Amino acid sequence: MLTVTLDAVTTAALLFIISSGLLIVFGVMKIINFAHAAFVTVGAYAALVGSQLGLPWVLVVPLAFATGALCGALTEATIVRRLYQRPLDAILATWGLGTVIGQLITLIFGREVQFVQAPITGTVDLFGIDYSAYRIVLIAAAVIVAVVFTMLLNGTRLGLSTRAVIMNEMLAQGLGVDSSRVRLITFAIGSGLAALSGALITPLSSVDPNMGVPWLVSAFMLVMVSGGSLLTLAVSCILLGGLQVIVSTFVNPILGGLTIAICAAIVLRIRPEGFARA
Amino acid sequence: MPDARPLSPAAATQFGVSRRWSAVLLAILVAAGITLAPLLLDTYMINILIRAFFVAIAAITVDIVWGYCGTLTFGQSAFFGIGVYALAIIFTEYGFGSWQILLALATAVIAAAAVATVTGWLSFYPGSTPLYASIVSLVVPIVLVQVLYSGGTFTGSSSGLVGFETFDLEFENWFRLAGLCLAAVAVVALIATRSDSGRVLKALRDNDERCTYLGINTSRYRIVVLVVTAIVAALAGFGYAAFGGVAAPENASFTFGTRLIIMVALGGRGTIIGAIVGALSIEVASAYLSGSLPYVWELIIGIALIAVILAFPDGLVGIVKRLMRGVQKKQRGPTTRLRPVAKAAANAEENAVAIEVRGLGKHFGSLSVLDGVQFAARRAELLSLVGPNGAGKTTLIRCLSDGRERSTGFVAIAGHSIDRLPPDRVVQFGLGRKFQAASVFETLTVAECLRVARTHRARPSLITTSTVLELPAAAISVVERSGLADRLGEEARNLSHGLKQALELAMVLSLEPEVLLLDEPTAGLTRAERQAFADILTALASRDRLCILLVEHDLDFVREISSRIIVLHQGKIALDGSVHDIVNSALVREIYTGQQAAASEAVS
Amino acid sequence: MISRFFLASAALTAAIIPAMAADPIKIGVPVGLSGANSVVAPSVVQSAELAVEEINAKGGVLGRPLALEVADDGSGAAGAQKAFDALVFQKKVNVLISMETSAARNAGLPIVARGKTPFIYTSFYEGKSCSPYLYVNAWVPEQQVPPIVDYFNREKKAKNYFLIGSDYAFGRGMLSFTKSYVEKTGGKIVGEEYLPMDGSDWTPIISKLKASGADAIITSTAGGAPNVTLTKQLRAAGISLPYGNLAVDEGTAKSMGADAADIYISASYVTGIDSPANKTFLAAMSKKFGADLKTPNDLSVPEYEAVYAYKAAVEKAGGTDAQKVLAALSDVSVDGPRGTIRMNKQRHAPLTMYLGQVQADGRVKVIQSFPNVDPGAQCPPKS
Repeated sequence: MLTVTLDAVTTAALLFIISSGLLIVFGVMKIINFAHAAFVTVGAYAALVGSQLGLPWVLVVPLAFATGALCGALTEATIVRRLYQRPLDAILATWGLGTVIGQLITLIFGREVQFVQAPITGTVDLFGIDYSAYRIVLIAAAVIVAVVFTMLLNGTRLGLSTRAVIMNEMLAQGLGVDSSRVRLITFAIGSGLAALSGALITPLSSVDPNMGVPWLVSAFMLVMVSGGSLLTLAVSCILLGGLQVIVSTFVNPILGGLTIAICAAIVLRIRPEGFARA
Repeated sequence: MPDARPLSPAAATQFGVSRRWSAVLLAILVAAGITLAPLLLDTYMINILIRAFFVAIAAITVDIVWGYCGTLTFGQSAFFGIGVYALAIIFTEYGFGSWQILLALATAVIAAAAVATVTGWLSFYPGSTPLYASIVSLVVPIVLVQVLYSGGTFTGSSSGLVGFETFDLEFENWFRLAGLCLAAVAVVALIATRSDSGRVLKALRDNDERCTYLGINTSRYRIVVLVVTAIVAALAGFGYAAFGGVAAPENASFTFGTRLIIMVALGGRGTIIGAIVGALSIEVASAYLSGSLPYVWELIIGIALIAVILAFPDGLVGIVKRLMRGVQKKQRGPTTRLRPVAKAAANAEENAVAIEVRGLGKHFGSLSVLDGVQFAARRAELLSLVGPNGAGKTTLIRCLSDGRERSTGFVAIAGHSIDRLPPDRVVQFGLGRKFQAASVFETLTVAECLRVARTHRARPSLITTSTVLELPAAAISVVERSGLADRLGEEARNLSHGLKQALELAMVLSLEPEVLLLDEPTAGLTRAERQAFADILTALASRDRLCILLVEHDLDFVREISSRIIVLHQGKIALDGSVHDIVNSALVREIYTGQQAAASEAVS
Repeated sequence: MISRFFLASAALTAAIIPAMAADPIKIGVPVGLSGANSVVAPSVVQSAELAVEEINAKGGVLGRPLALEVADDGSGAAGAQKAFDALVFQKKVNVLISMETSAARNAGLPIVARGKTPFIYTSFYEGKSCSPYLYVNAWVPEQQVPPIVDYFNREKKAKNYFLIGSDYAFGRGMLSFTKSYVEKTGGKIVGEEYLPMDGSDWTPIISKLKASGADAIITSTAGGAPNVTLTKQLRAAGISLPYGNLAVDEGTAKSMGADAADIYISASYVTGIDSPANKTFLAAMSKKFGADLKTPNDLSVPEYEAVYAYKAAVEKAGGTDAQKVLAALSDVSVDGPRGTIRMNKQRHAPLTMYLGQVQADGRVKVIQSFPNVDPGAQCPPKS
């Protein structure tokens, strides 16, 4: 039982880290960034390059964030900005971009599965069971991501502008908020977070051009069902991630893999605002 | 400007006839081309084209769901896959024979329809967003492929099914069969999308909310379209597997689903022809290029997709159309004649209560936006709703027109409780709502917009385009007085702001409502337009005996036209009385004008 | 890194054109240059190129040169249909010789039947593929699994097996045979779990494994990413049970670093086979490809041998007539890097299997060899 609980909590942490970048973009722009998976992959490759250069892990993670943020900013400025009036086209364009990034990575790094040495290996003894140490670290990472971005949103001028744009863009513009700058920065931060998550999962995963894709649908559904705030995203991750672990453990892992998508769709059908407060 | 003067009926018919004959001639030429083409092509090309034809049918279904109805769907591949596997599983399990063929066909159709119904139910409901529907469409093929993988020898798992006996036709005949199927689907799709019903699909795409408030159950429309296209896609998959003799999970995959979207996007969405052009050119190009450029092919496709979306959202067909339009001015369809509908027998008494509100409240958590709102209004009353920004006026309008909006209380329209009903049902009780920002169908012509507004009164044809537009007298009067009558053939997006407002009003009046809700109808209008509007409204109340409920900021306008005024303040009715009473009330001066000034400062 | 791409293109466009007058015999190689197989595909193409070059240098087959036609099958059914169409109907090849995914092979079978073209399949697979046009010279579960299970039973005293796989035909096929073989040899299956093919979080399965009391694990995942993520997560969870991996190849094991140490593999080819034929082959490969050489492996070496098998069959049949060549293929034998191979068991071949253990430095140490393991009944004649 303890193992299942730990599995559930660490899975929720992993899901939260991966979907938080998507959520921030969704909150401000009301679009789902289909290139998210590609940015996750970019982050993992940044971590790969960083660790091959011999950088310590504390530098590798910011390097991944910066690479992702740069890619995100370029994407916003060249593609997404022109498509604000056509949100579905924006989705499609980001999907196209995802393909392009994936192919470029393949051309540069090859299709081979690559490896990044984990900063922390082995297990720790927790309440009498051996548990993968790195998964425990992920819980801390998720908490840090959540705290940093809550502080950023609530404690800075940028955060204030961002929340203003989220609530009422027209009004915010009227009050002198440069909403296109807010969008640029938001998209960059969201993409940076995607890349950061890519770097953080490398110790558990392989690094290959398609590594981000399996996470994509779960992340989409979690963001949709969370309705747009970090807090409800955390709740969604714990509830649905936990359910995924339970189904995987007690029914079978294949059904477990579909749990989030199916449950989120049903939740949204019954309660269109998802886990957000009405 | 195209000539929009109504043509004589004879001329209109002639126009239709010549158009029809040229279409028939074209169809015969295409059929002859398909029949003769295999004699000219090599076996390899024939092979590629047979598969491409079936894929193109699936692409057409994507075009209808996405290009026409506006739902970006990644999921048509799932229905294609259902057709593929229905054939493969049944031929593998039971062998090949006539009853097996029928069973496989029936399975394909029923399974596709069932999955589409569930998908539609999950994707389309009042309040669902297009983004959400897209994401659900992404989940469908992913779940289906997972089911196929887990299916062991029954589905062949990742290896798919192969080795079943299937139709034994020559390549040339497969080519003719597939080509004619594609042509037939294309013709049906072209006729249906150009018919009056097809206009409704475009209206769904342009403005779902407006459709809902025209009494159209948009969710049901979308589900029906999804089910029909799912069946067609499944039949395309059936043909694909019958020819190829293979079923593979890829045929149902989300990757294939996105490829279909790319085909439609490159070819030109919303044109049917674009889907065919896109599908055939990508299939043929990939057959020649992807083999020799395996790494770069996907890259080229990705870049092409981004470029098309950014620079040519209408795709190849759009580019060609634009070039041709330069040469030849476009007359869109036959010209429309207006005709008044026979007025329904005056129902109920002339001064019946048209709208009744009791104890209405709207709360967000502990925040109360409306509280204890209570009033009734009779036919022929012109009731203005005033109050400072944030008083809850627009929220009240929303609560009156959508049964799911209010937190507490009772609302009845023409004696029918609106209960928790969605807007399309409330509209059917006799409610018409005009939005603050002109809400019309941008890519439809004026006549088409008005026809869509008549959908729930006059069931639109699936095949033909009617040349006669029957409208109630009130709507015709707006159309004529505003000058829209001269511009019936023009697309709504080209109209001025004032004309759009008039068009929307005419559309709402086409519903023959008893209660008309208007949210700041004069915002942004010129002085002359405003005066014309005042005349129209007064006439509607006095002559057509409509109950009009109006949200308005302009107190002069309100004073001029209203028969009664309600002042809303902080979510409650502060005053309710005659124009004279309200205008001279000290309270109104204080709470309304004072805060109004403050609020407008804050906004600017 | 870019060179890989140019190499692949060059291999595609410049089919080897020998200086012989006669019409070349065309060999079609549909292979996954993109998609799941794209990591291993270049080594397969290299094997084929070496075989063709060697044969042409010695005068070709019946005086005719061999020519390769490579086509990308995208590692899947849709791509394979296009690739087979192109090779059979456009290039009109005389034979198809290739390592492909099962989905691609299946998609190609109706096309080779329509085009009446012989097809030698050179990839190990889950078995039971049966067509009059198909020959297979690589292993099936009946050949690969017993060495590992027998070794675990005998040396590790394993009784309780836990099986983990990816949910696809190969994963399920291998483990279902493993299950029956373990039970037949007196062991017990204490768990059998699958993750979707692209799944990458094995946590719940690993937790189950820890609770199951297993004393050996056998895994059969999709190649590449799932295999790597599973191994990493097993190691991160501190699992050190005897670990047989049915899907890992030498190259992947090597790049996995310390995590791969102590994995047991079973293969019909490892680079360390100590035979003159293998040494000659490896030397010829290094000489031909130099720095661009893709390490030969269990998927690429059968391709090399199959080209020779086709040569022998054409010579025995006295020409490229499909029916005669198909009849001859079950009689001829090839002495190659893997030993003497003859596809005489229901169009499959008895093979010598090697049980290897991955060392800390990534090398595979051969622990034992099992000569002439029979493929069993893969394509029984219809009664």
